[in-house]
This record gives sequence, C-alpha cells and structure tokens, in this order.
Amino acid sequence: MKGGFLLRGLDRSGLIFLAIVMAVGILVPALNLLVPPGNPFHVPGYAVSLVGKYLCFALLALSIDLVWGYCGILSLGHGAFFALGGYAMGMYLMRQIGARGVYANPDLPDFMVFLNWKELPWYWQGFDQFWFAAIMVVVVPGALAFLLGWFAFRSRVTGVYLSIITQAMTFALLLAFFRNDMGFGGNNGLTDFKDILGYPVQAAGTRATLFFASALALALGFLLCRAIIRSKLGKVLVAIRDAESRTRFLGYRVEHYKLFVFTLSACMAGVAGALYVPQVGIINPSEFSPAQSIEMVIWVAVGGRGTLIGPVIGAILVNFGKTYFTAAIPDFWLFALGGLFVAVTLFLPKGIVGTMGDWSRRMRRQPSSTPPDPTVKPAE
Amino acid sequence: MVLRRLLCALALGCALFAPEKSALAQADTASLIQALGEARNYSELEKAVDALAATGDSAAVPALEALSAGALYTQKLGGPVRIGIERGADLVLTDPLTGESAGTEPAGGYERIRVNNRLRRSLRGAIGALTLLSPKPEIRLAAAQAVYKNRDASALETVEEALAKESEPRVRAALELARAAIQLAGEAGDDVKLAALEIIGERGGRESLALLGQVSANASPAVAEAAQIAVQKIQASLRWWSILQNITYGISLGSVLLLAAIGLAITFGVMGVINMAHGEMVMIGAYTTFMVQEVIRTSFPGLFDVSVLIALPLAFLVAGAVGIVIERGVIRFLYGRPLETLLATWGLSLILQQAVRTIFGPTNREVGNPSWMSGAFDIGQISLTYGRLWIIVFALIVFTALMLMLRRTPLGLQMRAVTQNRRMAASMGIRTPWVDAMTFGLGSGVAGLAGVALSQIDNVSPNLGQGYIIDSFMIVIFGGVGNLWGTLVGAFTLGVVNKFLEPYAGAVLGKIFVLVFIILFIQIKPRGLFALKGRAVEQ
Amino acid sequence: MAGNKGAKFLTGLTLGASMLVGAFAGEAKAQDTIKVGILHSLSGTMAISETTLKDVMLMLIEEQNKKGGLLGKKLEAVVVDPASDWPLFAEKARELISVHKVAATFGCWTSVSRKSVLPVFEELNSILFYPVQYEGEESSRNVFYTGAAPNQQAIPAVDYLAKEEGVQRWVLAGTDYVYPRTTNKVLETYLKDKGVAAADIMINYTPFGHSDWQSIVAEIKKFGSAGKKTAVVSTINGDANVPFYKELANQGIKAEDIPVVAFSVGEEELAGIDTAPLVGHLAAWNYFMSVKTPENADFIKKWQTFIKNPKRVTNDPMEAHYIGFNMWVKAVEKAGTIAPDPVIDSLVGVAVPNLTGGMSAMMPNHHITKPVLIGEVQADGQFDTVWSTPGLVVGDEWSDFLPDSKDLISDWRAPMSCGNFNVKTGKCGGKS
Repeated sequence: MKGGFLLRGLDRSGLIFLAIVMAVGILVPALNLLVPPGNPFHVPGYAVSLVGKYLCFALLALSIDLVWGYCGILSLGHGAFFALGGYAMGMYLMRQIGARGVYANPDLPDFMVFLNWKELPWYWQGFDQFWFAAIMVVVVPGALAFLLGWFAFRSRVTGVYLSIITQAMTFALLLAFFRNDMGFGGNNGLTDFKDILGYPVQAAGTRATLFFASALALALGFLLCRAIIRSKLGKVLVAIRDAESRTRFLGYRVEHYKLFVFTLSACMAGVAGALYVPQVGIINPSEFSPAQSIEMVIWVAVGGRGTLIGPVIGAILVNFGKTYFTAAIPDFWLFALGGLFVAVTLFLPKGIVGTMGDWSRRMRRQPSSTPPDPTVKPAE
Repeated sequence: MVLRRLLCALALGCALFAPEKSALAQADTASLIQALGEARNYSELEKAVDALAATGDSAAVPALEALSAGALYTQKLGGPVRIGIERGADLVLTDPLTGESAGTEPAGGYERIRVNNRLRRSLRGAIGALTLLSPKPEIRLAAAQAVYKNRDASALETVEEALAKESEPRVRAALELARAAIQLAGEAGDDVKLAALEIIGERGGRESLALLGQVSANASPAVAEAAQIAVQKIQASLRWWSILQNITYGISLGSVLLLAAIGLAITFGVMGVINMAHGEMVMIGAYTTFMVQEVIRTSFPGLFDVSVLIALPLAFLVAGAVGIVIERGVIRFLYGRPLETLLATWGLSLILQQAVRTIFGPTNREVGNPSWMSGAFDIGQISLTYGRLWIIVFALIVFTALMLMLRRTPLGLQMRAVTQNRRMAASMGIRTPWVDAMTFGLGSGVAGLAGVALSQIDNVSPNLGQGYIIDSFMIVIFGGVGNLWGTLVGAFTLGVVNKFLEPYAGAVLGKIFVLVFIILFIQIKPRGLFALKGRAVEQ
Repeated sequence: MAGNKGAKFLTGLTLGASMLVGAFAGEAKAQDTIKVGILHSLSGTMAISETTLKDVMLMLIEEQNKKGGLLGKKLEAVVVDPASDWPLFAEKARELISVHKVAATFGCWTSVSRKSVLPVFEELNSILFYPVQYEGEESSRNVFYTGAAPNQQAIPAVDYLAKEEGVQRWVLAGTDYVYPRTTNKVLETYLKDKGVAAADIMINYTPFGHSDWQSIVAEIKKFGSAGKKTAVVSTINGDANVPFYKELANQGIKAEDIPVVAFSVGEEELAGIDTAPLVGHLAAWNYFMSVKTPENADFIKKWQTFIKNPKRVTNDPMEAHYIGFNMWVKAVEKAGTIAPDPVIDSLVGVAVPNLTGGMSAMMPNHHITKPVLIGEVQADGQFDTVWSTPGLVVGDEWSDFLPDSKDLISDWRAPMSCGNFNVKTGKCGGKS
C-alpha cells in the first residue's frame, strides 16, 4: 500500500535519477572496498566520506525544496532541524563510547567529567539505545517544526516575516547550544565517536555502509517528495505557493497543509543530519548558525527550486566547489563562491536545472506548458 | 641595602653642603631621585619612592611623574637619572630636579626604569601627597582624590595642613573625604571615626561602600553599628540607581542597534530588498574611518580630534556609492523577486568581506577615540562614557534627518511613491530607476554612518558587519517593515529589555530570551509593532 | 519534459564527476618534495588570528629550503582554507593526509577545530602540531602541543597577582567555550585551595563576539568595590576583546585599581586597540615580541621582511610554530625518514632553542617546556615583561586541580605508550 503511494509519482526522469543515486550508493563503496588501492578504479576512503557528506547535504536540500519550491515557505532555519537530528545521533554515539573515554567514566561523556558534572542530565537518558535515538532524530526536529509552524501558520505569518523568525529560531538555538551549561558540549560539540551499532565508526566497512545508507535515504526522500507533489496534496501545496489567499477562499485549510509539509521537511532534515554526523565525526553548534542555513537555501536556488533533481545537483555542486576551491585558491575562494551566487540569481533565475529545461524546450520550440514558474511569484 | 645607601647619601649631603635648609632638602631630594635609578627590583624601587614621598619636597614631583609614565631613564654604565623623551633612536634628556636640558643622546646607552602596577599605585599616592599644597586648585583637587584612593596613613599630616589653608569648597570637600577615608582605615578614636563615617556615608556610592566594608572587621561596636546603618542606606539608594543604570545602558545599546538597523529599515523596510550585504556597508563605513585616521595620523596629526567628523560624510559617500553600484549592477534586475535578493546580496556580502580582507588584511585595525569621545562622566551613581553618549545623540540625529528627508523633500516623496506603487509612480513621470538607485544608496550611506559610530566601540575587522546583521533584521521585523518609527521603538525596546535581563539571566540567556520574545511577538502581531495599514500591505 | 530532466541530470553528473576526477588526480603524482600541510582558517571568524600563522609557516618553510631543504628534498607547503568551519577542518585534514600525502600538518587554533581533526589524525596516523594555548585535558599520540597548557599560563599569572599585587578578590571572565570553562575550573580550585573564599570569586561568561560590555564592566566595578584588592582574569576570546578593553578604558578602570590579566590577548590583538589607556593591564604568555634576545631579533627581522611590513608584530602562537617546526625538522633528520611512526618516536626528547633565550624540549606527554612571562601592556602596543619563571615549566596535560584528571598521566614512550594512564588504577583508559 505504502510502496504503491511512494512509487506512484515515478516517471522516466525519476527512474533515471533513482538509478543513478542507487548506482552511486552501491558502486562507490564497492570500488572502495573491493578494488585494491593501486588500481585506477579504486575510490579512496577520502572520497567516500566526502561524497557521503554531499549526499546528506543533498537530502537536506531536498527537504528545503519541498517547503520552499513547492509550498513557498522560505525557511532560513533548516540548519536547526539538520543539527538537531545530528545532535540526537551524536548523543547516541557519545553514549556508545562508554568507559572508553579519556577519564574512563562509564556514564558521562568526557566534557561532562572535566566540567564536574556528577550525573547524566535527564535529557541524555535513553540515548544509549539506537532505536530511541533513531526515533528522536525524527521526532525532535519534527516537534520543533510543528510547534513553530502551528503558531506561525495559524497567525498567518508569511513571506519574509516567516523567514526571519525561522532565522531567529536557529540563532536562539545556536546561542543555547553554545552554552556549556546546556550539557551538549558547548562550542566543542560532540566528537571523538568510537562505534555505531557495535561497528567502529572509522572502519572502511562502516563508512561504506553509512554511505550506502545516505544514498538510500536520499532515494527514499526523493520518492517521498515525488509522491507528495504528484498527489492531490501536492497540487494544493503549489496552489498555496502561487496564491495563498485564493486557496484559502476556496475552502482549503491552508495552515494544515503548510504545517504538514513543514513538519515533514524538518523530519527529513533531521534524518540528513543524523547520517551526516557519523560520517564527518563531529556535531557542534556552528551547524545552527544562520549563515549555514542561508547557504543551504542557496544550494537549492543554484540547482533550481521547484524541481526535485535541482536541489540535489545544487547541493553537490556548491559543496564540491567549496571543497575544490578552498584547496586550489584558498585566498580567493570566497570571491568565486560569492560570484557564483550573484551570477546564478542574475543569469539563471530558475537555477541550473530550471534554466536547462527552458533551453531544451526552446530548442524543440515547444509552447510553454509548464506549471506556473515558482520564481516569478514568490511567497506572498 | 637601599636604606644604608640612603643614609650614606644623606650623610654625604650633610657633609658637603652647609646646613642651610633648602639646600639640604635639595641635596636630599637629588640623592633620593638618584636612588630611583639604583634600585634593583620593584620592592627596592618602592622603598625609594616612599622615601622620596616622605621628604614632602614637591620638587620631586616631575621625577615621580616621569617614572609613572615610563619616561625616567638611567645610564647603563651608571650616571645621573634623567627624564627622557624618545625621538627616533635618540633620547631628549632633561634633569629631573632642575628641569634643565641635558642634551640629546642615543637611546641605546640608557635604560628605562620600569614600573609595575603596584608601583604606579604608590606613585599616585606619593604624587598626590606631594602636590596637596600646590598653588593650582586643579592639581590640589587631583591630589586630594589620589590621596583618597590610596588612603595612605602617612599623608594624614599633609592633608590636615592642606585643609587648614584650603579655601576652594570643592577641594575642601575632597580633602575632607580623603581625611575621613584615612581616619576610618587608621587607628583613630571612636569620635573621629564616627565623624568620618558620617562624611563617607553622606557621599554614598560604591567607593564609600568599599570603605565602610572594611570598617566592621576591627572596630568598636558603636562604630561598627554606625557603619552597618550607613551601608544599608547606601545600598538602598544604589538599588534605585541600578534600575536607572539598566535603563541608561539599555538606551545606549538601543542606540547602537538603531544605528545598525536604520539603514536596513530603508533598503529592506522601504524597498523590500532582503539586503544581506547591509552589514558589509557598516563595515565599509568603519574602514573609511580607519582610512581617514590613517591619513590624519601620518599627515595631519593635529586634526585627530575631528577625524570622526571628517569620516562621517566620507563614509556616507563611500558606502552610498557602493550601494548605488550594487543596486545598478545587481539589485535592479531582481525587483519583484525579494527572496532572490537575499541570495544575490549574500553572495555580495561574501565578496565584500573577502575584498576587505585582501586589501586591509584579516586582523583588527586600530581606530582611536578622539578626546571628546573618550572617558566617562558620572550622573549620580551611573557612569556613562562620552562615546556612548555621543552615539545616542548621533543615532537620534540620523533618525530625525532621515525622517525629515523622507517626509519633507521631493526625493523622499518620490521614494515613498515608487515603493508603494511603482507603476503609478512611473506614470506620473517619476524616473523610477533613478529613485531606486538613490534609495538604495541612501540606505547604504546611512549604514556607512553607523559604521563610523561602531568603529568607536567595536572591532574594525572584516567580520564587523556579520555581528550586526541578524540583530538588525530582528529589529526591523519587530518594529514593522516599512516604518521608521517602528525601527526606533523596536531598537530601544530590545536594548532596554536586553539590559534588564542581562544581570539576572546572563548575557547569553538574556539574548536567547529576547529572540524567543520576538518569535512569540510576531505570532501576535504578524506584521510587527507598527504595521503599515492600507492596501499596500496586501500586495 | 520528463526526459529533459533526466538528460539534464546526466549532464550535470558527468560534469561533476569529471571535476571530481580532476580533484583527486593529484594523488598519483610522484613525491619529489616533502609536503607540509598548513591547516589554518583564511576566511570566516578565525581568519583574524590564523592567517598570520599560515604566513609564518610559509616563511619557515622558505627559510628551511634556503638551507637546503630536508633529507635532500625541498619542502613544499600545501595551504588549504578550512574557513572557520569545524566539520570542514576534518574534511581538509583528511584531504591533506590522504590526497596530498603531507608529512606533517601545522594548524588549528580553536579547541573545537582540534577536536574535529583529532580522530582523523589518529585514524590515518599522521602528525599535527598545535600552536595555541589550550585547556589541556587531552593527549594524543599524533598531536604535538606547542602552545601552553593551563599550568604554563594561568596558574603563574594568578600567583603573580596574588604575590606582587596583593590581589584577594578575583573576577574570572571568559567567553563561554571549553578553554575558559576549563581554565576557570582549574583556577577556581587552585584559588580555593589557597584559601580564597567562594564569595571572593566571581565567574562570568559571555557569548562569542560579545560587543556590549557596559553591564559587565559595571558589574566588575561593583565587585571590585568591596574593599579588597580585585583583579580580572580574562579568558575572553579574540573578537570580544577590543570592545571589552575599549569599555574598560572608557569607564576609567585603571590597571592600578583593577588589573586585568588576559591569556588570549597578544600583540596581534593589541594592534587593533589604542593601548594608551590600558597601560599596566597584564597578559601571561610564553613569549613576547619585546623580549630582547638575538634569536628573537633575528626572527622579527625575517618576519617583517617576509611579510613586507616593518610594522607587523609577532606573537606567542607564532613562536610556538617556530619551535614546533624546528622540532619536526630535527626529528625528521634524526629519524632519517618522514614516515610518521619513527618521527613521532624521535620527536620526544628533541630540544630546540626558543625565542626567549632557552631551549624548549618535547616531553613524553607531547607537550613542551616553556618559560612563563607576565607582561604589562605598554602605550606602544607591546608588553613589558615584569616577571618570569626562573626556569622552564613542563606542560601539564592533565590538570592536578580537576578531580577526575589529577590521577592521569601521559607518556608516549614505549612501553607505556598511553595518553591517559591512571596511576591509581594502573590502567590506560580509553583503550578497549
């Protein structure tokens, strides 16, 4: 039944995309593990963790696109949901260290030991169980999004006001998590993880599995988003994006739709964060910083909002650019990155995928039959 | 060791000079000054200073002042102690006692007599005690205050002597206070102490509290009780002052926030451009101030006190010009797509930051405070710095000017017309592109002005703008987009609320509470404090 | 339409893939130079401090090459920009080690960046030199700590204030992160052990980049008016210092009344402030630019020539890199190879001249010996040394003043080879 719902929206491009994601998800770890290092087809471990990170960012970008591209809610606080998911996973990983920390304390993480905490705070209870942490990865960001959305959408906070309060939310969380008194490791965050589900985090096999899990999560996330936007629900969302008041006058409970999609998107971001943390090995408050959230929105814009493949490409491309330029031209890479953002907004207003779609349509001289352009009329 | 040397010197002085008093004192002082150069560590030096102070000879003052300022030198190979002023690699020398010039010599042959904080403190007391009888009332006042701070029991005699002669009321008051402070700390009888308590209790304030706090430990019951009562009285009045202090600090913080946000209130509030490069305009203003000061330092040192005034129009023009370039080059293609301006301006802000980093380097740049902006003054028990006061005044001036500009000038009228209904304005013959450019330039220019002010209290670094951008957006949103009054009220409200929360919740939690407060507030008033009424809102 | 998107995606993917291949192509190149990684932020919030360290490393490598390189090969610096982004630090560290195959890495400033790269260096078994004073409570086989541990900075400073200035009341003010937290914990225990009452200690934390210091400075004034001599021990981080000192100066808090001793304010930070009103405030470091030794004069001259600015200052972390780099060079020469394991082993016991006229040695706990200097701020932005330890102090990685760490020791020599050996239980913790 559920599978049917997920697969309903699949068409040829979707299938190709899924095939590529899954091929990457299987091939990269396989080439890393099975092919010996000297072979030209060997994928180095460095590339596995790097691309694994990109895949998590791609899932995150997808979640932003779902609310921004299809429902017109520009969230400048998605980094918060991502980081909360990451923290939930990080807490599990911290508990797994157990007595192997430097102070050999079986219960308390190291940072609590040297700051003289005597016992584990209540909110750390339960995180020694993977299933509990896995639930929290989805529930905590979802609950926060639900709470914020419930207040905001009911009071009809829209457009830039909503953007700014989501920014305020992530900024407040940033400050809160910086506080060492919060018991989340302050600025240092959570790090030095040992194992996940009994397997050492740094082993090539674990890394390959995590990579595959990220690819799988991306594929599932894609399927889910696709199914939603192809359903009636998706049509209403687009209607809200393009004319919120009109949709409301037609009798739809706009705030319910928005709340649903916002919460779902936050849960997806949480999952992305949870997969991200074991692969990069650290989660700290800087993930909450408003600049980070703005950058995430930019990945979507670069790739093309309102297309599901666009954000994925945007996230991978921008992050790859960052990786490449910070090593190739360390003193000038911000010019390149900044220039890219300006150029994309000026010359590719629909993002890479959207603009390429326009070009190929023009070449075939097709009359425009696309749904209303999301970039022309932003959130009301 | 030093004492023995001092005794030697004394004996020598006695032997060489006729027992004429002034000559004897002269010789005494001279040898004691010479002893300053021979001390081998801080405690020997301190003894030498004390000995010099004990002579009561005001001729020693220049030497002590020079020592305190780090301008007293001794020859490396032994020789007379000199006051030296560095000029390049040379020292311009004077004799510390007579003030006569002693020529110019290479600095390499001399060694500075080094002092630390403890010595500076005893020097302050010594200079105070020696200048209590100075003919100039200003110096006497400063001396009395110095004695009050150090409350050195040995100065009591001189204070009494000075009090007997003093006619100027404010100097008298300061002297009485100094005497009371010394008596209270010393071994005086209960009557004297009670009288001293009264004087100090009358004065109030934190310093008195500090003095009274020391009393109770080793005093008779009567004195201790009187001290207790005085302490309670002072504390009660201080409680009121602390509330007032929070309000003052809040207003001061609010004025900083207002300055930072007011440019954004135009580019974002009036024009609807989500201007993420706003912070960088502030930064440009601050760097303009740095450049102006740099030119003044190297070419016109006399103009330093007006450097900020020169920087103001320049910062406005530079930031405004950059703003116009940005508007013409990027923003104008994005009207009607406000959320995309966010992305483009974010890219611009990265570029501007890195450009400044490349040109000026990543480290902080020094921007000095002109003399009229440094220091503090007291209103009752609140001390407010001049810098902060001028920033409050400046923020209000900028706000008023901007208000007048929007309400009373043709350009202001056109700006409002264009932002409210672009097509209609164009049909009426307004050159909308020109107005757009001017409006954005105005907003950026005002941000540049803010940069001049912020350079006085904050880092001048490429990260300067980043620190203010989020606060600025919060304030504009809180006050209501498109309404300058809202920005004003919003900035001051948040400033004061923040300062009231800070003592109880700490700086971090205080800020978190303010953010949560804004989020909740927007739920109640989704369009801010002063929402624009009418159809323009509906869009 | 559907087909378009697929085609577009494929094009995008090919584009990305070809760029990826390009990025990893460097790996195959033959190693005719010895590569040295430099991992300092050149953009973002920490660029303000770290860019200088990158330049110092470039200078040291250039100097070494003028001397003929190392083991007959030239040194080659690999500079990357982790952009003050902590996960990016880990990624860049991995890139330096596995893509560029660097022999050693010099880098990091903040504790979090070190914590972020630590697992990477341990996993890939490479060498990191960390040049900044830090909170201690860490010892890794792969990291060499050339900055000060708390006992090489904080405790001597407090001793000086208590003894020389007669301070009885303490304000411990810091930015809310792990270095100030730990240092203040250490100091609090230390002061209480010395008989300071809890009421005479005030602890205050502020967020990063805090810029409105009015209330806190007023609070310090209030705390300081209780009749006992008061001092502020500041672990306030970089950016927040300028507004803090400006507010101190403006509110008229003189060093004679309430001295401030800082552990994170060096010559570079002072370059952004008018120091005339701050004369007499203190800093504790292991190096000051004003120290008069031939080595230091030479270093300053080379630095100012290299950076082409006769006004540029030098500071403590720069000296740490100078020491660390020379130690590494010496250890590589001793080991005759750049392979990590022999170099790590031969680094312990290496002694090189520091810039203050002594010889700093690498101890078995991977910390170095340093002199501790207390300096007073001068009107020209320099520090004037008013006190220094008679000899060198050994860095103590596990503080004796924290209950859980006082039983731990670190010794990376065989046979112990342990970073956190518990002398009470006789076990090496953290090993499964």
